[in-house]
Formats: sequence, structure tokens, C-alpha cells
Amino acid sequence: MKSFLWTVGVVVFINLQLHAQNEVEHNNMQFIAAGKYLPLYSGNNNYKEIKAFYIDRYPVTNYEYSLFVRENPDWGKNQVKRLFSDKGYLKHWDDNHSFDNRLKDSPVVNISWFAAQKYCECQGKRLPTTDEWERVAAAGLKSADGSKERDFQQWVLKVTSSAQPKPIPAVGSTKQNFFGVWDMHGLVWEWTYDFNSSLSSGESRGDAGSGSNLFCGGGGAQAGDVENYPAFLRYALRSSLKATHVLQNLGFRCVSEVKVQTGRK
Amino acid sequence: MSALFVLAIACNRAPVEEGSCCKSEAAAAAEPLQISDQSLYLLNSAWETQNSEVKQLEAYKGKIVVASMFFSHCASACPRITADMKNIEDGLSPEEREKVQFLLITMDVKRDTPVQMKKYAENHRLGNRWELVRSSDAATMELANVLGVRIQPLEEGGFDHSNIIHILNPQGEIVYQQTGLNVNPEQSLLEIRKML
Repeated sequence: MKSFLWTVGVVVFINLQLHAQNEVEHNNMQFIAAGKYLPLYSGNNNYKEIKAFYIDRYPVTNYEYSLFVRENPDWGKNQVKRLFSDKGYLKHWDDNHSFDNRLKDSPVVNISWFAAQKYCECQGKRLPTTDEWERVAAAGLKSADGSKERDFQQWVLKVTSSAQPKPIPAVGSTKQNFFGVWDMHGLVWEWTYDFNSSLSSGESRGDAGSGSNLFCGGGGAQAGDVENYPAFLRYALRSSLKATHVLQNLGFRCVSEVKVQTGRK
Repeated sequence: MSALFVLAIACNRAPVEEGSCCKSEAAAAAEPLQISDQSLYLLNSAWETQNSEVKQLEAYKGKIVVASMFFSHCASACPRITADMKNIEDGLSPEEREKVQFLLITMDVKRDTPVQMKKYAENHRLGNRWELVRSSDAATMELANVLGVRIQPLEEGGFDHSNIIHILNPQGEIVYQQTGLNVNPEQSLLEIRKML
């Protein structure tokens, strides 16, 4: 059954490849068949079932985001409401529409969760859940579970812990994984829909003293794969984020339950 | 739990028609609101109260709001958060209370129906200055993120969550957040009185 699903995924992937054409290619989505994955904090081998979905094969680029801003001027660099983003939103852009042309195909960064969420919504998509994102990121180059691919893991560790190249390279410049999805590692961090469900580190921004009272619950979170340093880093980053935050190395991509054709008119 | 979450996603997706998000926002922006760009009343989501009224958060404009997220099945922290809010209420004089709205926002959008929320309000003897509200999963997530509340859905159907009481000024801006449980309400009362 599983291999059948993979085959379907591969066929869809090939179809996408055939239909891909330059600009439109960046709007393509990759089918991810239903399957199991092991979340980082899952105790022992508590695999989670993830339903099938489509995911953007690349992070959203500056060019793509500029098209969104044109249609939604409220989300311009100088127009965005403070409720939805801290200062620094699109700070690498010159103004509401222009940016260094070399960044055209680079992932858009300096984006708040609200902005990412609204972008996806306006495409008829949504942000991936952390589980969906991590399921795709867990894939290696040859299999859906990349944990056994030593060379790949070495590479992920290296790119995750090294400084980000400046300017940020174009999307599609790192690696394409087993699913056919690009840049899950080594380009930028990415927002997830439920990034705010990571509670393990506690509320470090608050000024309250006693940690145990800050959260209702907070039961023992146990990591399944303690060797997955990059996953710990992503988890820690998500724990530290607020939805209004903008970072120079935090971008996003979208997902949907059905394939969305977003080739621009 | 994963089923709940998938449902949540379905809810999130269902009302989205192509471009609809963009239009509604443009319409909202065109209205002459006397609120800043940090006001919670920029959110145009619809909320259902324990009395089955449907309103936008903007309905609370002009009042000082003392708000917290909760869920009625919560056995540990939520009753204590509610008690902390009641401590704030008890610390105010009857005249002062007139200008304050107490608001409980559920994160359990499936189980906290108006009937269930009404029951909670009665069990906890919450007076007529209290409203309990729920919305869609997406709107709840948006509000949680505006408030900086972290929510982790649990396998058994509950939630781990931040314990924060938020105080909003009449324009809907967050002026103070009381974090933790069993906190002395002194600072919150001070912040409220600054606005009276």
C-alpha cells in the first residue's frame, strides 16, 4: 500500500515536471502521500499519521511576494499594521515594491506569521502544520525517512549550523529531497501554522518568576530521536518566536489539501 | 487529536474563496476606525457568546477589557485563571466595574459550545460583566498569536497553554499582561485605574 502511494506521488511529481515552465514552475506543488512520521517530542516511537497534502516545492520568493503585495497594498512594507508585524517587515526591500533584483528568486524573509498566513490564504492555501513540515523535512534524498542516510544527515547538520550565505541564494539552490521538494534544509527557516504549540522552553519573554505556573499542563516532553540536532534547533526557534516577529533568515512556503493552480494571469 | 487538528484545517480552508481574504480586508481598512494599527479590533473575525450572540471583538471598543484564553474542560489552570480574573473584579469598586468587560476566549472551539460556556459561567458564578466567546480554529489561532498565547493541543483532547491575563485599553490595545497563576492583582488593578 505504502509503495503504491509513493508511486502515485512519483507519477504526480512527473506530471508536475512535465507541466513546469520557468515562472510557473515556482508555483508548483508537490503531492505528499498520507503516511507516518516520528515527531521530535513523541516519547518512544509514537508515530503520527499525517494526511495527504500538497506542498510548495520551493519557499515563497521575493518576486512572488511582491505580486501579493501589489494585490494587497495593506501588506506593503510601509503599510503593514503593527498588530500583524514588528518593525523590520520586508526591511531588505527598498520600498513597497522594489528590491535588489538579485534577490528576485531568493526566499522572501523578514516576514511575520500573520503575513505568511495571509499570503497563503490569498493563494487558496495555508501554512503547513509543524507535523506536515517536519514530515517533508524528514525525507532524505533516497527515502522518506532520511535518518538512515548518513551523508545526507552530515550535510543537514553542516548547513544548519553554518552561517547563512549573503545575499540569500535563490530557491532551488540546495537539495531536492525524496519527495521532490527543494530547500527544506540549508536555505532559510520556515514558519509553520502552529509554531506556537512548542511550549517546552517556557515563556522566556515574560517577566514572571515561577516557571511552573506559566503554562497549564506542560507534561513531560520526550524526544524520540535525540541525535536530531537540526530538529532541536528548529523546535527551539519556534519556541522563541512570536507571530509578529520578523527575522532575516525566516521565510515560509504554503500547503493545501488539494492542488492549487496559482499560475499568475 | 490529529483528527481534531485536521478538522481545524478543514474549517480554516472552507470559508476561503479565491481572493475573498483580500477583499474583506480592503473593506475593513476603508472604514474610519479611531483605533491604532496595534488594536485588536483590527481583527474582523466573528465570535459567538455564551448567549449565542454573534459579534466582532470591536463590540468591546470603548471598554476596558480583562481577557484570558481558557477551555471549560480544563481541570488545573483554567479555574485558577478565572479565579485570578475574579480577584481583579473583586478589587474594583462597583462604579469602576461598570467600565470593565471580562472576557474568556475558548481555545476548545469544538467542545465549548454556547451551552457549555454558559454552564461554565454559571458554575463559576460569573456575573453579567463576563462574556465567554468562541470562534473558528483559524480565528482562535490568529487571536492567540495577537495575544502571544502559546497553545499545544494534547492527544487526549485538552491543551497546554500560556497562563496570561490581558488588559486592553478602550482602543483595543494590550496595555498589560499578568502572567502566571495566583498572581497578586495589584499591578493589574493599577493598570486598570490608570485608564479610568
